[in-house]
Amino acid sequence: MLSKKWLSSLGITSLLLSTILTGCGNDEESKSGKTEIVLSGWGGNPVEKKLLNEVLADFEKEHPHIDVKLNTINDQYMDVLKTRLIGGTAADVFYLDAFEAPALIETGAIEPLNKYVTDDFDINDFEKPMIDAFRSDGELYGLPKDYSTLALFYNKKMFKEHGISGPPKTWEELEEIAKKVTDEEKQVYGLGVMPQIERLYYLAESKGGEVITDGRASFADDKVVNAIQPIVDMHIKDKTAATPSEVGAGQSAGEMFGRGKAAMVVEGNWNIPYMEETFPDIDYGTAELPTVNGKKGTMSFTVGYAMNAESEHKKESWELIEYLTGKEGMKKWTSKGLALPTRKSVASELGFDQDELRKPLVEGASYATVWQDGPSLPIVMNNFNNQFLSAYLGDRPLEEALQDAEKQANKEIKVTE
Amino acid sequence: MKKRSAGRKALYIILVVYAIITVIPFLWALSSSFKTLGEIVSGSINFIPKDFTLENYKQIFTREPLFGRWLFNSLFIATVGTLLNLLFNSMAGYALARLSFPGKKSIFIIILAVLMIPFQVTLIPNFLILKELGWLNSYQGMIIPGAVNATFIFMMRQFFVNFPKEVEEAAAIDGLGRFGTFFRIVLPLAKPALAAQTIFVFMAFWNDFMRPLIIMSDMEMFTLPLGLNSFKGQFISYWNYIMAASMVFTLPIIVLYAFFNRYFVKGIKFTGDK
Amino acid sequence: MKMFTKKERKEAGQGYLFLLPTILVLGVFVIAPILYAVFLSFHKVELLGGATYEFRGLDNFLKVTFDDRAIIALKNTAVYVAVVVPTQTFLALVLAASLNAGLKGQKFFRVVYFLPTLTSSAVLTLIFMWMYNQNGLINYVLKIFHLPTYNWIGDPDVALIAIMIMNIWATAPFFMVIYLAALQDIPDSHYEAAELDGAGAIQKFWHITVPNLRPVTSFVVIMGIIGTFQLFDQSYIFSGGSGGPNNSTLTVVLLIYQYAFKTLGTMGYATAIAFMLAIIILVATLIQRKFSKEESLY
Repeated sequence: MLSKKWLSSLGITSLLLSTILTGCGNDEESKSGKTEIVLSGWGGNPVEKKLLNEVLADFEKEHPHIDVKLNTINDQYMDVLKTRLIGGTAADVFYLDAFEAPALIETGAIEPLNKYVTDDFDINDFEKPMIDAFRSDGELYGLPKDYSTLALFYNKKMFKEHGISGPPKTWEELEEIAKKVTDEEKQVYGLGVMPQIERLYYLAESKGGEVITDGRASFADDKVVNAIQPIVDMHIKDKTAATPSEVGAGQSAGEMFGRGKAAMVVEGNWNIPYMEETFPDIDYGTAELPTVNGKKGTMSFTVGYAMNAESEHKKESWELIEYLTGKEGMKKWTSKGLALPTRKSVASELGFDQDELRKPLVEGASYATVWQDGPSLPIVMNNFNNQFLSAYLGDRPLEEALQDAEKQANKEIKVTE
Repeated sequence: MKKRSAGRKALYIILVVYAIITVIPFLWALSSSFKTLGEIVSGSINFIPKDFTLENYKQIFTREPLFGRWLFNSLFIATVGTLLNLLFNSMAGYALARLSFPGKKSIFIIILAVLMIPFQVTLIPNFLILKELGWLNSYQGMIIPGAVNATFIFMMRQFFVNFPKEVEEAAAIDGLGRFGTFFRIVLPLAKPALAAQTIFVFMAFWNDFMRPLIIMSDMEMFTLPLGLNSFKGQFISYWNYIMAASMVFTLPIIVLYAFFNRYFVKGIKFTGDK
Repeated sequence: MKMFTKKERKEAGQGYLFLLPTILVLGVFVIAPILYAVFLSFHKVELLGGATYEFRGLDNFLKVTFDDRAIIALKNTAVYVAVVVPTQTFLALVLAASLNAGLKGQKFFRVVYFLPTLTSSAVLTLIFMWMYNQNGLINYVLKIFHLPTYNWIGDPDVALIAIMIMNIWATAPFFMVIYLAALQDIPDSHYEAAELDGAGAIQKFWHITVPNLRPVTSFVVIMGIIGTFQLFDQSYIFSGGSGGPNNSTLTVVLLIYQYAFKTLGTMGYATAIAFMLAIIILVATLIQRKFSKEESLY
């Protein structure tokens, strides 16, 4: 008798449990006949979040049959996104960094977009290098939502104190200024450096070498090594540059700059709102990056909206992408200056090409190198950065470090084949 | 007598020093959680905040409205998972210890073998199986695969092997069936073993990071460790927020421990010699 | 006779009924996955954009030989196990023995010591990252004692050590509790006899406590080996999933995760590494067993 009681209560419990469990998922379209589509991106700062929510609210107003659910991924975005694509739980529309795009496009997990694009959409309005980053064999796989180049941020007060009239025009000038302002005792350095290929790629290729050739790493080439050597020398020999973590500023050159530990840093548009919010008292200016061998150069980073090839609501997903990267949506999204618009018409309408702080960044777009180089770039980046750090910290010669990194990267590329 | 007190002093020194080493990280985190961002960034080392503030706690709940949900998810998964474990592991342990049936030995050997398999081997296929079942991003996807634990089946078997037979025989005379005996008589007497298991299993669910990392995709479905990591990704240099969140996450488990503490040491019997 | 078999049959039914949940769960989520994993490990698996499986024979197992990252991960993990397991075991033993000496306040210390074990590894890792900060508490304390300070998170030479310290601190108390339970089973008479022979506290520890705890030590070491070989959470959070700086915190399990979910098309390889890890753990456990048996011959 007693055992039956136990079993029945067990049965009831499991019944309850299963209703709770199933009750929690899958009620997508039921209510009010709306289609729910999910959008994934990384979190960004609170202002960015608010802005995105506003743009999405505008979209929902114009498209009353669609509900957009924002599902942000705040940590390890790409790994998590890939995991979800494999599991079939990824969003309908998601951010895709140009740098990761080639590998993902190759797998077929991303919906080709040519068939959706209409003349009204005015695709020629986009900055060409940015939209080309999402093309493969003439097919479009994403639309760039914004971009940023790198520029030189310099601390005006520190410059004045050392009698420096203005930002350096050439790399040699930058090295001289760095010597003047460095005060090792106080852990104040001329240049704050992120020792990473994504910041140095344009520099690495400035002497005619190539970081990647035919899908294989080739950055141990003398031309590449010589091109980067000055960066290492500034840290080891001159002791006029340092990484943020060396001065306790975590992983952020912006924080290093804001805390007055570096007179100059090479950062992107994102650093402008960051400074405004976190270090409003610092008086700083921006300039185009100093020339190397008389040539201008910088990096450009762009992120696009891409559609999940397995999405069940492709029509609605396209409507969302079309709106977000359309003139109206993009204008709103970039209006606060958190990122630069990839549509030329929007950029001039918002006047960013005239803005004092942003002008050098916008100028850079025309000669910037887009951070993208085929499917093997993520592996190359990892290996380069790992080994480069040890060279940067002076543990080993740069050439030796890069040779190891190149060998290692190519082995790893082989492992994935 | 003198020698003895000297030894005593030495022991006390060991105990106190180690207690300090244990407590300091928590105190430091706790103190940081009451500091302003300015004080955090300034890098000053003081345990008593200059401008004591509760703002961080307020902020984390307003900036991350999902905190409550994550707490619920973790509690739900850990509680249900633990209950199922207690039930299933004891049932299995009891059957292996007390009942005789064909195939018992091979099942026991399989369970022992499973004990040796690190879960990484099954991680990837499990992910794919959960995908086929449609259990990704669900509570059952977290709970069911962990509803049974070979280690504790083994532990419960050891416990029941040593359990006095007379008790059950008396129950049988009283007319209780096998299930009645098990649920009404045996399980209640297994309390110490169950208490230890409760803490271990609950902690394993509560702390699990890797499985929710790959299973849960909606932020609403995150568990605390995952949510905390996501929170850290978002507020990377706001250590005052991160520490406040860490403190919020630590509290429930300490309460649970306080509750079960008295059974705890008694119940641990992995290495029965019988 | 007939009655007997009926009873027997009934008991068999009950036995299987009691075991049913276990059989189901282990069958679907352990046994089947192992078979599935065997299949995966012989294939190149690409699950994105429509699943493709390409038979590659032993390729995945042979890849390890030229995959330096796998070798680094194995080395890091081995160093980690070799340092952490003995240290945490010894520390746990000393703490348990001290606690068991019957001093006043025993309970208080026990509760305090257990705090780290109760805290989730995600929380602990964050607290330690905060303390390991360049201008953080740990460097501050080192400075007070005029010891060199380190860039704990950013310097490849010390990052793994930083994780080791954290984990020894976090897991030693857990094993301490297991020792504590076993210590209570050692009869007081043993100690009293030794005292009569004039043994001091330290002699008692080595000659009575340690030998009596040998079976528990064996268990603690095996649990320690299994746990440390599976290091993942701390490395993942510490390095933001990369295993950096310079692969210094890359562990085997982190590598498996990366090959499964980060790099595309290497899921089969990831499973192959997981199998190899399983074998390594098994061998390590067997070696440990052999050692502890030999010891007990004396």
